[in-house]
Amino acid sequence: MRIGLLRDAIQSFFRRPATEKYPYARRAAPARLRGALHFDPARCTGCGMCVRDCPANAIELITLDKKNKRFVLRYHVDRCTFCAQCVETCSFGCLKMSNEQWELAAQHHEPFTVYYGNESDVTSFLAQLARAKTDVVPTK
Amino acid sequence: MHTHAEVEKFVVPIGPQHPALKEPGHFEFTVDGEMVTHASVRLGYVHRGIEKATEQRTWVQDLYLLERICGICSHTHATAFVLGVEKLAGIPAPPRAQAIRVLVAEMERIHSHLLWLGVAAHEAGFDTLFMYTWRDRETIMDLLEGLTGNRVNYSANVLGGVKFDVDAEQADSIRRGLDFLQERTEHYLEVIRRDEMFLRRTRGIGVMTQAEADEFGVVGPTARASGVARDIRIQAPYAAYDAYPVNLVVEHAGDLEARFIVRVRELLESYRLIRAILDALPEGELSKKLPRRIKSGETISRVEAPRGELFYFIQSGGGDKPTRVKVRTPTLCNLASVLTLVIGHQLADVPMILVGVDPCFSCNDRAVVLKSERDEKVWAWEQLRQYGIDFYRKGKA
Amino acid sequence: MSVLLSLLAFPGGLFVVLSGLGYEWLDRKLIAQFQNRIGPRWFQPGADILKLLFKEEIVPRDAHAWFFIGLPLVALAAALTAALYVPMAGIEPAFSFPGDLIVTVYLLSVLTLCIGVAGSNTTDRFSLVGATRTLTQLFSYEAPFLLALLGPAIVAGSWQIREIVAYAGQRWLLLTQPIGFAIAVIGLMGKLELPPFDAPEAHTEIVAGALTEYSGRGLGLFRLAKDVELVIGLTLIAAFYLGGLANPIEFVVKTVVLLLGLAGIQALLARMRIDQVVGVWWRYGALLALGQWLLLIGWEVFS
Repeated sequence: MRIGLLRDAIQSFFRRPATEKYPYARRAAPARLRGALHFDPARCTGCGMCVRDCPANAIELITLDKKNKRFVLRYHVDRCTFCAQCVETCSFGCLKMSNEQWELAAQHHEPFTVYYGNESDVTSFLAQLARAKTDVVPTK
Repeated sequence: MHTHAEVEKFVVPIGPQHPALKEPGHFEFTVDGEMVTHASVRLGYVHRGIEKATEQRTWVQDLYLLERICGICSHTHATAFVLGVEKLAGIPAPPRAQAIRVLVAEMERIHSHLLWLGVAAHEAGFDTLFMYTWRDRETIMDLLEGLTGNRVNYSANVLGGVKFDVDAEQADSIRRGLDFLQERTEHYLEVIRRDEMFLRRTRGIGVMTQAEADEFGVVGPTARASGVARDIRIQAPYAAYDAYPVNLVVEHAGDLEARFIVRVRELLESYRLIRAILDALPEGELSKKLPRRIKSGETISRVEAPRGELFYFIQSGGGDKPTRVKVRTPTLCNLASVLTLVIGHQLADVPMILVGVDPCFSCNDRAVVLKSERDEKVWAWEQLRQYGIDFYRKGKA
Repeated sequence: MSVLLSLLAFPGGLFVVLSGLGYEWLDRKLIAQFQNRIGPRWFQPGADILKLLFKEEIVPRDAHAWFFIGLPLVALAAALTAALYVPMAGIEPAFSFPGDLIVTVYLLSVLTLCIGVAGSNTTDRFSLVGATRTLTQLFSYEAPFLLALLGPAIVAGSWQIREIVAYAGQRWLLLTQPIGFAIAVIGLMGKLELPPFDAPEAHTEIVAGALTEYSGRGLGLFRLAKDVELVIGLTLIAAFYLGGLANPIEFVVKTVVLLLGLAGIQALLARMRIDQVVGVWWRYGALLALGQWLLLIGWEVFS
């Protein structure tokens, strides 16, 4: 009677298991991994194409001052599908997906809304939000 | 009209929750002892209204929506859609992009068949083969992650091309991974052909002759295991398949063993194909820009998913959103054959026959019409749509 | 007092329960090693049983509640009682009387019968199919298994386990009765419903077979009874065929080696359909066992 996996089983018995012992042992993520989105405000012109093309409405672009190019990007991590269409759409190279930030689980709501922009812009916008005590800001 | 049979009907339900099914679907098998005498199916448990949702999203957004109809044939859905849209717009993608699309499609086929092999072994109670094939599947998933950025839902396509390139280092790591997988796959082919216990569960079970296959209209590896020489990649080549021809893999026995052998031989064929692509990738750009509004018209798009022929009908009204996208997945064709094949087999063979057609229920579910005894009518698409619009309008008022 | 101690602590009761859990862990760990993966941690079977004992037990509406709740208790009681006649831990059996070999084997069968009756007790489709398969399998392997265990009894000239073990301690019956050994091992796998004979609880076909409706305490007790049966079966076969169990160290070594063989067979073979099980046992198993038994009787009579 032929047993197909006999040699395999005997070899496996003396080998280390193939299981990766995450989280005690982590492998390095590949360079192209599509993790969380990162935004660099330096080149943003406020065209809003990334907002339009996102299939999950995960990006909102808040215009603080259009002429001086001060924009704040509100990124909803919990809505994002990590498709990288926004990266492809942005013709100025402001967006990229991180390959280090991929362990995104959290136990509260706060880490899931991320604000990107120049530091002063973000602080002033958050202060504005706190004053208004409402979460609705016109985006386009 | 009910007739009372002498033997009381004993109905074994498989689904919607059942360890044999990876996704919900309701089968009812009428058994007499262990012998199946009748089978029926009811689907619709994973219907998400994707076809309707495509009408409210732009072409770009729809690409990612349709990609998520299924996890293991996601790239083929995206490719079918994108090829159809490019046909409507009259702007085909450049050759390098088409080649990379085919590369990812074949890697997805490898992933899907290895996954299926493990699941089928698990249904037979052969857990060791399940563990080994899924361990080897990690290799192809790591390769896909390195190439595309994700293990499933590769998001490789954009309208007009692909998102990323294959450089020399990537090509090398893919070749090394394929060498390992080739050796393992040839070993699994031997196991399937020779392991005595496994053959007892697969040889001579669920036999479908070529005539029956034509009558049921089955597609994909299920049909090719019964001698039907049908493969969209060969008969209607799309993307770059005319530049990299595929050899047809066909078996004639028509039983479960043949279905296993066809899929494992297709794995070997995919390895060869990927090597051919990597050796001769055409130079050029990665994508062309497509306009936001696609010219009005209708088109169909057919691709060979790992399970068979995937069929898309796309209709554009000239705007930035499609007016209709219709998806017909291969599992819909194959599932009806299961209902006829199981009759006369034992209950223990039923999960094996079901997994032999490689069912993918989430690909499958479109709108379902439930006939109740009091109120039976057949809805036209426009009626159903209007009903939905009125329903929500009433709710909001 | 010593009776109470034997019943509750050693070698019955607590000791056999704990060693049952330990052997289940070892079995799962060995299979995992064959499958190139890690397997559970040492406390997993204990944690499983403990969790089950804490969960709510739902009695189906159409089942006889007394049977439903009582059958797991009867099964566990039978398994624990069988432990008293077997040389647990390599020391003499706690109790012994002529003919206790048959009693022990049938106490183990009571367990299987309880599972079969428990399955028929409900109106759930899966339980009924599972119960049918359990009882069908019972009728298939029971006769060859018993014959295989009677082989050493014949040559030892007694049907009392203590005396058979004493006789087996002097020579390895594995060498003189290899067929009996093979049938005993494979029969044990049938009795325990281990792959490839797990058709009665083939979870990809009939969810959990006869025990589908069980949850909570009942399921925990049935599983515990199966673990105890594993230890008892291993002890019996090791004692009869592998040269007796003279001391605890021999007990551990021999039963673990036997368990390694069992784990190997489990890992390597696909599940057999119930009609194939019956075919194999009645065509090959019964005839081989019968042939071996007749040979032994002939040898005893004529020498």
